[in-house]
Amino acid sequence: MDYLAEKYFRIRKTPSTACSGCGLGQTQKMLTKAIDDLDLGIEDVIWATSIGCSGRQTFAMWKGDGLAATHGRIYAMMSGLTLSLPPGKKIVCTVGDGDAFGIGLQHLLNAARRNVDATVVVCDNLGYQSTGGQYSWTTPEGSVTDSSPYGMYEPNWIQDGRDILNIIREAGATFLARHMSMDGEYGLESMRKALQNRGFSLVHVIFPCITNYASTALGTRNTVNMFRWIKSRARRMDETPDKDTIWRTGVYFDASNSRPDYASVIKGKVKDIDRRSLVK
Amino acid sequence: MKRYLETGNFAIAEAAVLAGCRFFAGYPITPATELAEAMSKRLPEVGGYYLQAEDECAAMHMCIGGALGGMKVMTGTSGPGFILYADPYGWALASEIPIVVLNSGRVGPVSGITGAPGQGEFYNVRFPTQGGNYETIVLAPNSAQEAFYLTVEAFYLAERFRMPVTLLADQLVTDGMEDISVPETDAEKAQMGLRFKDREINYGPEFYPAVDKIDIPPVVLGHNTGALCSDWTPTEEGYDTEEVEACHKHVYRLIYKVRNHKDLITRYEAFALDDDPELVVVSFGTPSRVVKSAVKKARETGMKVGALRLISLWPFPDELFWRRATYLSVELNYDGQLVREIQRACPKDSRVHFLGQCGELPGVQELLTVFQSLLDGKTISPINWQREAW
Repeated sequence: MDYLAEKYFRIRKTPSTACSGCGLGQTQKMLTKAIDDLDLGIEDVIWATSIGCSGRQTFAMWKGDGLAATHGRIYAMMSGLTLSLPPGKKIVCTVGDGDAFGIGLQHLLNAARRNVDATVVVCDNLGYQSTGGQYSWTTPEGSVTDSSPYGMYEPNWIQDGRDILNIIREAGATFLARHMSMDGEYGLESMRKALQNRGFSLVHVIFPCITNYASTALGTRNTVNMFRWIKSRARRMDETPDKDTIWRTGVYFDASNSRPDYASVIKGKVKDIDRRSLVK
Repeated sequence: MKRYLETGNFAIAEAAVLAGCRFFAGYPITPATELAEAMSKRLPEVGGYYLQAEDECAAMHMCIGGALGGMKVMTGTSGPGFILYADPYGWALASEIPIVVLNSGRVGPVSGITGAPGQGEFYNVRFPTQGGNYETIVLAPNSAQEAFYLTVEAFYLAERFRMPVTLLADQLVTDGMEDISVPETDAEKAQMGLRFKDREINYGPEFYPAVDKIDIPPVVLGHNTGALCSDWTPTEEGYDTEEVEACHKHVYRLIYKVRNHKDLITRYEAFALDDDPELVVVSFGTPSRVVKSAVKKARETGMKVGALRLISLWPFPDELFWRRATYLSVELNYDGQLVREIQRACPKDSRVHFLGQCGELPGVQELLTVFQSLLDGKTISPINWQREAW
């Protein structure tokens, strides 16, 4: 077994029940490796998840404390949790694209505004795959899915000059990056930076879904084909994009530790009021 | 004792602080706004946190977050916000997280009349979320002072039963100004009958065994216990599962931890019921105050009428309806909600009537006329619980 799995994951939940060819494992490994690189232990991290492939597959894998919220609500839950946890705990969150950029976007943006100290890894498999493969708000234009049989023609969050990361940046997030699950060391570097930011970090990771997306949109369950398809549409930030480019990978925005996180603000203020208060 | 002339919302805030609540997340809504306002002022004074959420759904989720870290938490709203609690309420019920929730009733449906009392959420608080397979605890104060008392009680029950407890008030209780006594010494607290329970930490590895026991501490994160909680059916250790048997064990606990300890929850006020009156008037919340005045008056004129006021609404106290009498349910709604439970619980040959209206309370004289009419054997409606223009 992988040394990371042995160190950090519960035997009961490994190997995961993900489909063969799924890139979620790469994403999770990238995050876990970053945690390991930073010498964080099981007790230092609270692992939060939500609904969908990314949520259910990663729930309870972490040996330490774990929780899963209903669809899209984990960001609000984290906002409360960050105030009540003992000091020094890190909230790490693996969620899907539908969860973060669809049903939970309002809570996500508000968590970014508050600069909640948490690292959110949006594991993007280009649609709602655990329900069988419907399009989401990050599904590339024209993709045939179970709910877009004529090709996805609704404007998405990632093309035509729109980028969801710009919106989250404007909302107040202090670290933003985008990667492919097969980015290896390049993605790992961003993950480490994300974890080192005491504030709201979000890493958007595109990973391949073979069972649903590849079979419907690309017409084949050939894993290598899907990996290549994603790779050919991603360009690093320092490279020049071409007409096929959908995703720019790398660090989008790094204002790590530039403003106090939510819990520090609230706790500082309350301490101040509490000290001055005569009413007990 | 400290005494105030203040609103019910103020009383609830003071009670929450006394019960150890140090976390409140809410969203402004009439007629529960003043609770949020009072909390925003009061909590920082005692080292607590007030959060204003982006919506009610987020507010209760924040409360869950606070409770998961080990704090006593509360949120408050009215009907239109309460339906947005559906999602987090279900999560808290299933993961068994203590939260106190105020629902101050106004007139519905939807936004309805904002500044007037209503009782349209009698069933809504029983079934606040989807899926079934659970019991809920609901307490209904009829004055600011009782709201104070029941808020402390709600925190106590929430900790013991590790679940959300709802206070179902109405606009007159939360917005009305009344004389409020707040105890300061332990002797005063005991004299008031207040009960308290501190938060304890569940150290696992079995987080909730498949039994109906209460007093098992809830899951608290951040203590390296390997605690797991989620929205899925949990095993006893908290892992998600799709097994029917695990689901049965889980929901058995959710249902029977409440049903089998109902005696800890049930509260009511009986007035002039000792001589088995022919007519029993049932109510809860603010209308019960008018009902009590009317029953007093009726007794003076020799009418054999008694009043039964429900203080705990759910689990429904079926056992209180054993009398073979005529029942009249007085409610602040037109569709008749409490009356259906009375019909179900009372002896089969009892007559059950309904008198309902919204936005304003019935008058004492109006009630006396109805009492007389029912005692004369007349119905006030051709079909039992539809209101007629009599």
